[in-house]
Amino acid sequence: MGEDGGTRPLYLVAVVLERTMISKIGAVMRRNLRELWQYRGLLWALTTRELRARYRASVLGFLWTFLNPSLNMVVYVLVFGVLMASPVERYPFFLFCGLLPWIFFSSSVVGGTTSVSDRRDLLTKVRFPAQVLPATVVLTNLINFLLSLPLLFLLGTLYQDLPTWHIVFLPIVLVVQTAFTLGLTYSLSALNVAFRDLQHIVANLVQMLFFLTPVLWNLDSVGDVSRFGLDLSAQQARDLLLFCNPMAAVMAAWRDIFYLHQTPAWEPLGAVALLSLALFWVSSGVFERRREEFAELV
Amino acid sequence: MNLTPTEMAIVLEGVGKTFKKSSRRKDSSTLKTEFIRILLRRRKVVEPTWVIEALSEVNLSIPRAKTIGIIGRNGSGKSTLLKLMTGIYSPSKGSIRVNGRISALLELGAGFHPEFTGRENIFINGIILGMSRAELTDRVEDIIRFAELGDFIDEPVRTYSSGMFMRLAFAVATHVDPDILIIDEILSVGDEHFQHKSSAKMKEFRDGGRTIVLVTHDLGTVESWCDLAAWIDGGRVRMMGDPKEVVREYRRAVSSAEAQASGQSPLSSPGLALPELAPAPPMPVTLSSVRLRNGHEEGSPSAFSSSGRLHVLLDYVARETSASAFAVEIRSADGGLLFGTSLTAETPAGQGTATLELPRLSLGEGAYEVLARLAPRDHRETAPLRASLVVAATADVASGPVRPEHRWSVSSRAVAPEASVVAGAVAPGVDP
Repeated sequence: MGEDGGTRPLYLVAVVLERTMISKIGAVMRRNLRELWQYRGLLWALTTRELRARYRASVLGFLWTFLNPSLNMVVYVLVFGVLMASPVERYPFFLFCGLLPWIFFSSSVVGGTTSVSDRRDLLTKVRFPAQVLPATVVLTNLINFLLSLPLLFLLGTLYQDLPTWHIVFLPIVLVVQTAFTLGLTYSLSALNVAFRDLQHIVANLVQMLFFLTPVLWNLDSVGDVSRFGLDLSAQQARDLLLFCNPMAAVMAAWRDIFYLHQTPAWEPLGAVALLSLALFWVSSGVFERRREEFAELV
Repeated sequence: MNLTPTEMAIVLEGVGKTFKKSSRRKDSSTLKTEFIRILLRRRKVVEPTWVIEALSEVNLSIPRAKTIGIIGRNGSGKSTLLKLMTGIYSPSKGSIRVNGRISALLELGAGFHPEFTGRENIFINGIILGMSRAELTDRVEDIIRFAELGDFIDEPVRTYSSGMFMRLAFAVATHVDPDILIIDEILSVGDEHFQHKSSAKMKEFRDGGRTIVLVTHDLGTVESWCDLAAWIDGGRVRMMGDPKEVVREYRRAVSSAEAQASGQSPLSSPGLALPELAPAPPMPVTLSSVRLRNGHEEGSPSAFSSSGRLHVLLDYVARETSASAFAVEIRSADGGLLFGTSLTAETPAGQGTATLELPRLSLGEGAYEVLARLAPRDHRETAPLRASLVVAATADVASGPVRPEHRWSVSSRAVAPEASVVAGAVAPGVDP
C-alpha cells in the first residue's frame, strides 16, 4: 500500500472488512433478521416483560414513562434555557424534540451493550438466537419512545405548535434511527462479552456524544470556529458535525419534522441510512462470528 | 425428514469440545491488544496448554423412544455434552445430528421475574423454553393444576417459597412436549408427593415414545428407569450399554479409586478420568450369585417373616484353591448398616456355595438390601452382589428395624391401701 496518508485509512477499512468476511455477510444479515422473525414470540415476550417490569413495583407505575423525560427536560431547561438563556425560541419544546429520540438512542446503546453479557442465566441454559437480547433492549426503548410521543404533542399544543403534514416523514426517520441503533448495539453487545471494559467506555462515549449532538443546542448556532484555529467556515463546521456524527443528522431530521415543520434535508439522512445499512451488515457479521463464544464466555 | 439412521434421535460423531482457559484470556487479551492484533492481521495464537479439552472423540447414538442415563463424576463432561446436544455450545470437532424437536431442562425457571405473578411467568418461561403463545394458552390451566399453587398463582413470584418456585418452574418445563427431552439433575423437586407426580409425568413422556436424555448422580434412578446408560469419564464415553452393567462398572471404578486414594487421587481433582480397571480381574475366586431362602421353600420368597429363618447362599467359582473371606451385610433402604458378618474359609477349586444361616431374622417390616462380598486373600475387595430383602408385616405391635425375640407380661401384687400413695410404686414387669 502507498505511503501517503490518504490511502492508509482506506487500507485499514479494507482489512477490517476482509476480516469480517464481507462475502458471507449478506447472507448472515438475512439470517440474523430471519431468526429474529422466527423468535418474534420470544422477542415480544421479553420486551413486554421489560416494559412491564420497569415500573412494576413503583407507585406511579406507567406514568414514569412520561415523568422521566419530563423531569430530565426540566433540568436541562433550567440550566440551558433559564440560567444560560438560550436564544432558541420555545426552548423547552425545541429541547424535547431532540431529547426524546436521544433517550431512545442512548438507553438502547448503554443498555444493549450489556444485554448479552448480563444474561448468563438464559444463554447457558436455553438455546435461542442471542441477537434477541440486544434487539429486546432496542425494541423496549423504541416502544417507550413511541409511548412518550403524545407528551411531545401535548407540549407542542401548549406552545401552539401543532404537528403539520411533515409528520409523514416520522416513520422514515424512525426506521433510520432504529437501524443505526440496532446495528451499533449488536456490535457493542457482541464485543462486550469478551471485553467487559467496553460497557464503561460506551457509557462515557455516549455522554460525550450527547454534547456533540444538537440536542441541547441548535446546529444553526454553530458560528465562526476560526478563532479555535480551525480553517472552516461556519457552514463547513456544521456540515462536518452533521456528517461525522450520524445522530446529529437524525436529530436535525426530528427537529425538521416537529419544530421547524419542513421536509428533512435528505443528504445527511440518506447518508445515515446508508451507514446504518452498512453498520447493520457488518455488525450482523461480528455477531455471527462471536455467537459461538457467548455461552462459553458469559 | 428421512435422515440416515431414522431410528436415532441424536447422533454424535467424533465430537470434541475445547475451552480456552479464562485466566489466560484475562491477562493477554484486552480491547487494545485485540485491536492491534486485528490491525496487524495477526492470527490469534492459542497455546495448547491454555486449552481445556472437555470432551474428546465422543461417539454416541441415542435411539429414538429410549431413555438414556448419562453418569459420570463431577467435571467428566456430562453437562458439556448436554449443552452440545441442545446446541447451546457448538462442537470444536465432529458433528451432531438431532432428529426432532429438542427441549432441555437444564435449569428451572429460566427468565422468571420476581415481580411478576406465577401466571405471567408461565408465559415468559414457556416462550423461552420454546412454546408458542397458543400452546401456552392451551396448557396454562394444566400447568397451574400440576404446580398445585392454588390462589398463589396470581401472586408475585417473589412471595413464593423455594418449593413453590421450583414446582411452578418444573410444571412449565414438563409441559413443553418435545420429541427429545434433556434433563439435567432436576427430577428431585418438591416433597414426596410432588416427586411421585414428577416421575409419573416422566413415565408419561417415556411411554409416549419420547426420547429422554437424563444426567444424574442417582445411580438407582439410572438402573431402574433407563433403557440405556452411558458413562462419561475424562471427556470420553467410557462405557455404554445396559444400565445395570454400566452402573456396576462405574461403581467398581469409583470404589477402586477410593481404595487407592492417598493424597493426590483422581477423585480429588474433578474431571480427571478414573483409573482403568483390569478388564478381567484375575481373581482366583469370584462370587457368581447371591440367593436368599427362608429354609423351607424352593426359590426366593417374595417376603420374609420377621421371626422366620433367613439363609443367604453365596455361590462362588474358584479357579484355584485359596483362602477367601465371605462377607454378608444387611443394610436398610437408605444404606445404613444393620448387621454384618464374615467368614474366612478355604475354597477348593471348582464351584461351591457358602451359606449363612440366621435361625431368626429379627428384622422389622420393610425393605432391606443384602450385600454379599467375596474377597480372596491378597486381593482388593470387589463390588458386592446385591439382593433385596422384603420383610412382611407382623401381627404384634412393634416398631423399628430390629425385632429381637420379645414377650410382654404384666404382673400385679396385692398392695396394702396405705402404700398406694407412693407414686409409681407399681411398675409393669418387663420380661426380655
